[in-house]
Amino acid sequence: MVFPRFILLSVITLALALLGACGGGEQVRKAQPIPVGKVDMVDFSGSWEMDYSKSDNIQARLNSMVRELQRQAERRAQRGGNERGAGTIAVGNSNTGATVIGLAQMADMITQSPLLEIEQSDNDIRVKREENFALTCEFFDDKQMVLENPLGTETCGWVGHQLLFRILLPEGLSIQHVLTRSPTGEQMSIATTVVSDRVTTPFTLNRVYRRFEPGSSGYTCEVTLSKGRVCTTEAQ
Amino acid sequence: MRILLGLYLALALCACGGSQRQAPATDAPDAAVAWPTPVGAVGLQRDQRRSDGPLLDVGIAIFDPGIPDDASTHSKLGIFPEIRRVEAQYMPVRLRETLVESNAWGPVRVLPEPNDTTVLLITGRIEYSDGLRLVLALKAVDVTGRVWLDRVYQDQSREADYPVPLGGDPYQHLYNQFANDLLAARNALAPQVLRRIPAVAKLRYAESLSPEAFAGFLATDEQGLLTAVRLPADEDPMMARVQRIQNQEYLFIDTVDEQYLQLSQEMGPTYDLWRQYGREQAIYKEDYQRRLAARDSQGRRGTFPAMQQTYNAFKWTKIQQQDLHELAVGFDNEVAPTVLEASGKVFRLNGTLDNQYAQWRDILKQIFALETGLPGS
Repeated sequence: MVFPRFILLSVITLALALLGACGGGEQVRKAQPIPVGKVDMVDFSGSWEMDYSKSDNIQARLNSMVRELQRQAERRAQRGGNERGAGTIAVGNSNTGATVIGLAQMADMITQSPLLEIEQSDNDIRVKREENFALTCEFFDDKQMVLENPLGTETCGWVGHQLLFRILLPEGLSIQHVLTRSPTGEQMSIATTVVSDRVTTPFTLNRVYRRFEPGSSGYTCEVTLSKGRVCTTEAQ
Repeated sequence: MRILLGLYLALALCACGGSQRQAPATDAPDAAVAWPTPVGAVGLQRDQRRSDGPLLDVGIAIFDPGIPDDASTHSKLGIFPEIRRVEAQYMPVRLRETLVESNAWGPVRVLPEPNDTTVLLITGRIEYSDGLRLVLALKAVDVTGRVWLDRVYQDQSREADYPVPLGGDPYQHLYNQFANDLLAARNALAPQVLRRIPAVAKLRYAESLSPEAFAGFLATDEQGLLTAVRLPADEDPMMARVQRIQNQEYLFIDTVDEQYLQLSQEMGPTYDLWRQYGREQAIYKEDYQRRLAARDSQGRRGTFPAMQQTYNAFKWTKIQQQDLHELAVGFDNEVAPTVLEASGKVFRLNGTLDNQYAQWRDILKQIFALETGLPGS
């Protein structure tokens, strides 16, 4: 795998960090309920394309996280009265170069889809992401949906006008997507937060999408079992 | 010093240890523990002694699709409601064909709803259905109230069951087992008991048309079963009218029955494909989870390769689930027009058919009341 230059630079920065005592510990591996307040459902349906100019710069976000980790390290050192540890961000197996960079890489990988197709009804939403699985949520009586399988637990629901998806995975990894639509309905942001029990600060990446109208192809298609994808030139 | 260092390392490993979940060995639903063992390979027994007793009419009511009211549970249970509703119409037709083939019964009809005047009524509920296994709760009760059968049947498909040959069914063994059990239940009853059942059915039907005119013909015995305490004369004109009205009802049911048969024939190939894909996906998922449980981690916990491995495992499971959802939509795209077409021609097959059946029966009762001058039920 080829690492971008910023990642290599960061690896060097982090490599300077010294190992300390193990303080990271195991995070609670239980789905935290999404706080349900007044639900103000927003219509996200439509086609969306990523606006790279308005989306977060991953290098800037990574630098910001490293600074935060350094601040944590300083506070830790002050509490312990250890001046020598002031520049140390690694804590045992946590906050090492590989884990911090890994978190940023994960956030980058998860949020790469340039195009989204969202189908929404009063009862459910399906956020189809290019090259990834769709984020789906069903809304029933404002209850949050919880889906469990041996490979992970999904929770989703509305928090005011925002839609939250939480995915709890094995090995201390969890991912949260927060969808927020602009008042005009022309823009949407997805704030993706990746949490690892090997890094003491979560990594958040904000991707901004703008609405677009897919070109009229003059035909419509539907999936059928016996004939596969069937397209007709009937008027839509 | 070495011991202290060892203890320290052991404690550190415990504190920083992972919490990876164990994948279950199988993907069987939670309710599976309560199901009976699969029926296995079962041949259909054909009745060789048709002259021993009367050929009883059988009515198979459209099954209860077994869809929980709480729609929020459907995804978790892997239930696609539209498909379940179609299955609830399709499976009784398969069962009807099996019973007809067993050569043990009189007319076997598929009914839009349970009818308590049916000589032998079969009702069912779909407990579980996918391409890998089918679980049906089936019950057979005759018009006197005697319960012939009340069992849960499970069948599992094999690789050889797919692709499904024309006219075949991957769960034919389940229908065969039920037909054999029903035949055994019939054979366990004395011929004179069997002979009394159609007479009770006729009186029960007459009573449903006019309780006043036919009061006193039926009573409940000490076992709680309905019995005929007296019978009308053979040339009773009232009974002739009842028979004529009942024939009108059969005409309606037979017309509806043809619609069910047509639906079954038209959706059969698509439904078989759906089940074949469902089976392949279920097996793939089980294999995948087994492989996953046995895999080695690609990197130290918290590193990108390790997290990527964890994420991708989840991602492929989700993609697999979502493929199944797309297939369900594909199934709907093909079956829905058939249902609508059937609906457009003669009857509505979804929901309102039972209303139409009820309306038709009401009309027949009114005709009967007008003809006889008796108050209807």
